[in-house]
Formats: sequence, structure tokens, C-alpha cells
Amino acid sequence: MRHPLRVLALALMLSATPACASLQWPGAAIENPIDAARTVDQRAYALLHAYGAILEEAADIVRDPATPLTLKRALGQAERVATPTVETLQIAVTAYIRASETPDDRIAAANTLNAAIAAAEAPVAELQALVRARRS
Amino acid sequence: MSNLMLQVQLLLAALSALLPLVPDEHRDRAAEILDLAARALAAGGVVRVNLDDLAAKLADVRREVEAMAAAGRAVSADELDAAMVRVRSASAAFRTALAEAGAG
Repeated sequence: MRHPLRVLALALMLSATPACASLQWPGAAIENPIDAARTVDQRAYALLHAYGAILEEAADIVRDPATPLTLKRALGQAERVATPTVETLQIAVTAYIRASETPDDRIAAANTLNAAIAAAEAPVAELQALVRARRS
Repeated sequence: MSNLMLQVQLLLAALSALLPLVPDEHRDRAAEILDLAARALAAGGVVRVNLDDLAAKLADVRREVEAMAAAGRAVSADELDAAMVRVRSASAAFRTALAEAGAG
């Protein structure tokens, strides 16, 4: 191949073509379910389901033989970081739901849950960003 | 969107049909480039389809959470279990796919 840079540029341009063609302007963007929650347990629930949905799509991308190996590896790395934080979130939200009615227990469980949500949000967002990476 | 994709694919097909007109010394390179272009286009298409699916799934979750919030209802233990079953199942499927793709 005498002009590898030109070929690479062509490949990148064509890879981006479908994503650019389907570009949606603000207002039609991918929705964030967590913003719809009003309580801490609803936020946790939204984050768990959103993560499940993101993982399902990531699996479809990984299954496709046309997906570059580097993207598959990056998705794998992001999942290995995100899943443990989501498992911790599940433990925290279970404890919150089962917390006794005494205010002190409830407050402590809510604090733990808020910390678990904060810890899980960034790794989940990173995996979502990788799934969306080719869009822009 | 699909119109544009179709046009690009037709363009590639048309260019491929012209390959015999390319001088012998450049024909292999031209074929190589067209093949690469087709692969890149296919990869981009897969990502687009998955983005559409993801947007629909996240919109479903949002609707469910909005209804919960509007009713002022707390998450039940059963709902929580269902969410975790989804996460565990998706995580297992993802890791299997990754291993099968040789990227694990």
C-alpha cells in the first residue's frame, strides 16, 4: 500500500458516514433516564437499567465481526471497570430499601447509596461514550 | 439517512464495476481501497443501528422512571431484582461475546 495515510483517511471518513448521516440535533438526543428520577432509589434504579441497556448494545457491537478489535478491547476494559461499581450500587440500594424506619438508619443508607451512585456514574458514562464514539 | 447510505453503497458498487478500466498496475490497489471502504461503511452502519436501539431502550427506562416519580412511588424489591437480573445477564452476554471475539 503506497499511501497508507490516504487509505486510513478514506476508511475513517466512510466509517463516520453512517453516524454523521444519522446525527440528531439537540432535542432528539439520547435521553438520560437518571434525570427523570426524583428520589435516590429511583436514581439508582434508572442507573441500573440504563447500564443494562448500554451493556446489551455493547455486546451487539462486540459480536459484529466488522467492529475494529481496538474498539472491542476498549469496551471490554470499560466494562471491567463499570460492572463492579454497579454491583456495589445494587448492594447499596438493597440496603437502602431494607433500612429500618429509624431516621438515623435511613440517613446513613441514603448517604451510602448517594456515594455508590456517584461512584458508578462516571464508569457507566464512559462505557456509554464508547458505544456512542462513532456517532460524532 | 438510509437514502444517503444507499447512495454511498451504490457509489462503491459503481466504482467496483469500473475496476477493469483501471490500469493493471493500479488495479490491485484500487480493489484493496474499495474493499476497505466497504468494510468501514459496514462497521459504521452497525454502530448506527446499535445507537438507535440504545436510544429506544434508554427512552423506555426514562418513561418508567418518570411514571414512578410522578406517582411518588418508591422502587420495590422485585423491581430492583429485575434490574439486577438484566445487568447480570447483559454482563455475562457481553463477556462471552468479548471472549468469542478474541478481545477478552
